[in-house]
Amino acid sequence: MLSQYMINQLVNGLCQGFIYALIALGFAVIVGIVGLATFTHGEIIMIGAYASYYIFSACGNNLFLGLFASFCASWLVGILVYKLCYEQFLNVPEHISLICTIGFSMLLKNLAQIFFGTEKKPMLDIIDNRIYSLGPVEISKVQIVIMVTVLALSALMMMIFNWTKWGVALRSVSQNREAAALVGINVKQTIMVGNCIGCAMAGVAGMLIGIYYQAIYPTMGATLSMKAFAAATLGGLTSVPLSALGGGILGLIENLGISISSASFRDVFSFGFLIIILIFKPTGFVKRKGVRP
Amino acid sequence: MIDRMKDIYAKHKIAAWLILLAILVTMPMYVSISNMRIVCRIMLYVILAGGLNIINGYCGQLCFGIAGFYCVGSYVQAVLMKTYHVSFWLALIPSGIAAALIGALVALPALRLKGIFLGMITIGFSELVRLIALNWTSVTGGAMGIKGIMAPKFFGIKLGGASKYYYIFLGVVLIYLFCTNRIIRSRVGRAWLSIREDELAAKSLGVDIKRYKILNFMYGSFWAGIAGAVYVAYSSYVDSTYFTLDEGFNVLGMLIIGGQGTLIGPIVGSVVAQVLTEALRVINIWRYVVYAGLIILMMWVRPQGLVGASGSMLAGNKAEKKKAAKGCVEKLERKEA
Amino acid sequence: MKNRVIQKVAALFLASGMVMSLAACNSSADSSAAPSSSEAAASAGGTSKGTIKFGLIAPLTGVHAEYGQGFQTATKIAADEINAAGGVNGYQIEIEVQDSAADPKTSADIATQFCEDDDIKAIIGDFTSSCCMADAPIVDQYQCVLLSPTASNPDYAPMSDYCFSVMYNQANMAPWVGKSVIGKYMGVKSVAVMYLNTDWGISTNQYLLQGLSEAGIQVLADEAYEEKETDFSSIIAKLKASNAEAVCILDQGNVPTIINQIKTSGWGPKLVTQGPGASQQMLDLCGKNAEGLVITDSSYITEDNPKTKDFYDKFYAMNQCAPTDHSLCAYNCVEMLASAIESIGDGDITREAIKDALKTTTYDGMAGTVKFDENGGGVRQFLILGVKDGKYVVDEDYGYE
Repeated sequence: MLSQYMINQLVNGLCQGFIYALIALGFAVIVGIVGLATFTHGEIIMIGAYASYYIFSACGNNLFLGLFASFCASWLVGILVYKLCYEQFLNVPEHISLICTIGFSMLLKNLAQIFFGTEKKPMLDIIDNRIYSLGPVEISKVQIVIMVTVLALSALMMMIFNWTKWGVALRSVSQNREAAALVGINVKQTIMVGNCIGCAMAGVAGMLIGIYYQAIYPTMGATLSMKAFAAATLGGLTSVPLSALGGGILGLIENLGISISSASFRDVFSFGFLIIILIFKPTGFVKRKGVRP
Repeated sequence: MIDRMKDIYAKHKIAAWLILLAILVTMPMYVSISNMRIVCRIMLYVILAGGLNIINGYCGQLCFGIAGFYCVGSYVQAVLMKTYHVSFWLALIPSGIAAALIGALVALPALRLKGIFLGMITIGFSELVRLIALNWTSVTGGAMGIKGIMAPKFFGIKLGGASKYYYIFLGVVLIYLFCTNRIIRSRVGRAWLSIREDELAAKSLGVDIKRYKILNFMYGSFWAGIAGAVYVAYSSYVDSTYFTLDEGFNVLGMLIIGGQGTLIGPIVGSVVAQVLTEALRVINIWRYVVYAGLIILMMWVRPQGLVGASGSMLAGNKAEKKKAAKGCVEKLERKEA
Repeated sequence: MKNRVIQKVAALFLASGMVMSLAACNSSADSSAAPSSSEAAASAGGTSKGTIKFGLIAPLTGVHAEYGQGFQTATKIAADEINAAGGVNGYQIEIEVQDSAADPKTSADIATQFCEDDDIKAIIGDFTSSCCMADAPIVDQYQCVLLSPTASNPDYAPMSDYCFSVMYNQANMAPWVGKSVIGKYMGVKSVAVMYLNTDWGISTNQYLLQGLSEAGIQVLADEAYEEKETDFSSIIAKLKASNAEAVCILDQGNVPTIINQIKTSGWGPKLVTQGPGASQQMLDLCGKNAEGLVITDSSYITEDNPKTKDFYDKFYAMNQCAPTDHSLCAYNCVEMLASAIESIGDGDITREAIKDALKTTTYDGMAGTVKFDENGGGVRQFLILGVKDGKYVVDEDYGYE
């Protein structure tokens, strides 16, 4: 017996989950497909959000211009991340580039506080926010935009990585770099572009999150990226659609938990669920074993 | 020049240690109290980074959640002292053991997980512990925290204030160094190192991976718990905002700067990190920018940290691994000769 | 080969960094002081007996950087204004700022450093309650005033005679909001409360519930959430299901986000909030969603308010953002200390004398009267403000019962 209240909570959970999924997509591309470790993801979200914010305040509320700006800005930052944190360390254990990205995220966060200012910046009325009612379900326009984006992007990524020549090359690079180089793949360039795609997706996510929450600030990425990290891990880190699914489930679990107890337990539900799943199924939702750690 | 220093050190080993000890013991006499507090902070981070070093450095696991163990130790100590009026010294051991038990709990999933999955578990775990501390109001005081934790007495002398409390920190650091030094050279320590360098090879040589990994997590988190326990009586107040994930990354950063896999690494790391962040106050809000830049630079120049274990996989270069192994063999041969 | 060179350069850089840091260790304390305020005043003040130094501990970096930098700017404005008017009793005021990054360990270390420095007569700070709680035993031991603009843990101010806080007002404030504002002024019968799960939120909520029950208002939901929360939809759905007439939000930084999300969810209850202060930032962040919001504060800090315009303009010029209530509290701190020193008169300005004077000081400034109760908690007067057409409107003046 589902009351109106529970249905509403489920829809909220789903929307929240799609936000996580949105961030988890880029994360899954970088960590899962390209095979790099990153902790800079939250800050790239922030960069994307700020890029679109400045475009919106300079050129008016043109969604596509904002999209373009955040895409470009985060792509450029992606190149920077690659040059600083990955290029030197392709042949060494993962933890070194991981630490490098931790340092880089600290750098970006503090630079953003200096250059963008520490206060929250409003991002109001970018999309005319209408609410649609479908029977008992109420859903806003931004939420629909986010859902469509997540579904479209995960389908697009799946197509790119499975059906295009370049995607297959990227996957082969992530599995065995030496062998990939032997068959004539430009390893460094492939990895860089892969990383940039992940970053650009994070940038777009940043813009959408800014529009959804209607405010942006330099530390906005930190908590959200941790949750997206959890979602991608839940999805097994090798598959983009499964990471999106992980995000959705995490959002649902959290909101169901909140609806029966208190909101201050939010992270207890999500991280508790993650830990339980990983204990019983160390590779998350992915069936295959031993593709990559 | 380094060689000459090493020679001098080799000749006057005992004298050098005695001088160092004398400097450390007499430190509060000529260092101002506000600087003494920085020294105490360094000592705290030495123990924390040391505990993390045991897990990340010696056993090659990826733990980001040291703040969780730190939190458990702090709260157990605070609750024992405040609610049950246990004396500081008696409460230390249960706090450490509680953290170690939680460490064992984390190690259970760690047996099946590696790399970033393990890192995720420890992150989630650290947040879980913090949220429990925040929400379990009847025991931990919730967001109000626990206040008025008294500084301990030692043979009738009240060890309050940084210049006296320093000796407790110093004592704990020395005990930590002594114990860890013994353990690293024992069968257990060698097992940890072998797991770090090559888990599969270690297994094939008959190392009981499960047991040693659990033991490793327990020992590392024990010291993090002790650090927390010592710290609450020093600050006299504790609440859950002390134990955020950022604190965990902070400790990790120190360990990385100093170098993993050596006893001295965490010491150098916390000294450098604290002195740098204090000194960089001159440049005001830019100081964390510079600090972050230094971390990246460090990874470029010396990935194993300032004084990390250079001959291991921590140093990063797989090509040099063979060279390092060769070096180790030569060293052993020289010793035998 | 090339690699070797890079390594050497980097090593040199690292080494020089370390040397510099060792050398700077001693001098670092003085160099970040704000010298400009004393210089500016020396020309204007005429007869100057010397300077009085206050220490400011604030989180200039980290997640609370927004408020810490606000503190820095606000205290500087206050000091400049006092100095330009000739100082207090002929003394110039100087403020030395140190960054605590909202870390209690660092904050306590800086408090010790300030206490050891005999030139510093009183300390202003820190932002978070947990930092202030860690500082309290230290200032008690050194007998130096710690005047926090925002510490709101009810245990904090009673911890020592030397601990004071300006925003410490739930015991008087929150019941009043419950009884008079929600009950009498808004005239609602049922309310749903959401509050921040921090020391501030919990104690405010307790006192608010007390006031609400005295007024006989039904509380249909009472929900807490964590400080880092970004998505409030599930809490809002919970409150919505309770069918309350009004929603009371007890929070500071998150209030605009919550209001936006309530409006986005298509629900239109009466909104009342306590905590964030009536700042321009709030209006900017909410846009037209803020319409009809009831807010209580000692003043409202926007460009249109003639009383605070001067402060607003100066703050905006220095910090490139609009001030919040927290900054106003920091401003009040300096003014309180100045009027305490003024009341000492010709006596010696010691830490002890400042403490004694501070207990009886009242400061009447642009945001009503501020004084301290017997514990050292601040008591401020409050206005009831409404938002109409994107602007604050004073609905009831000070002294509304």
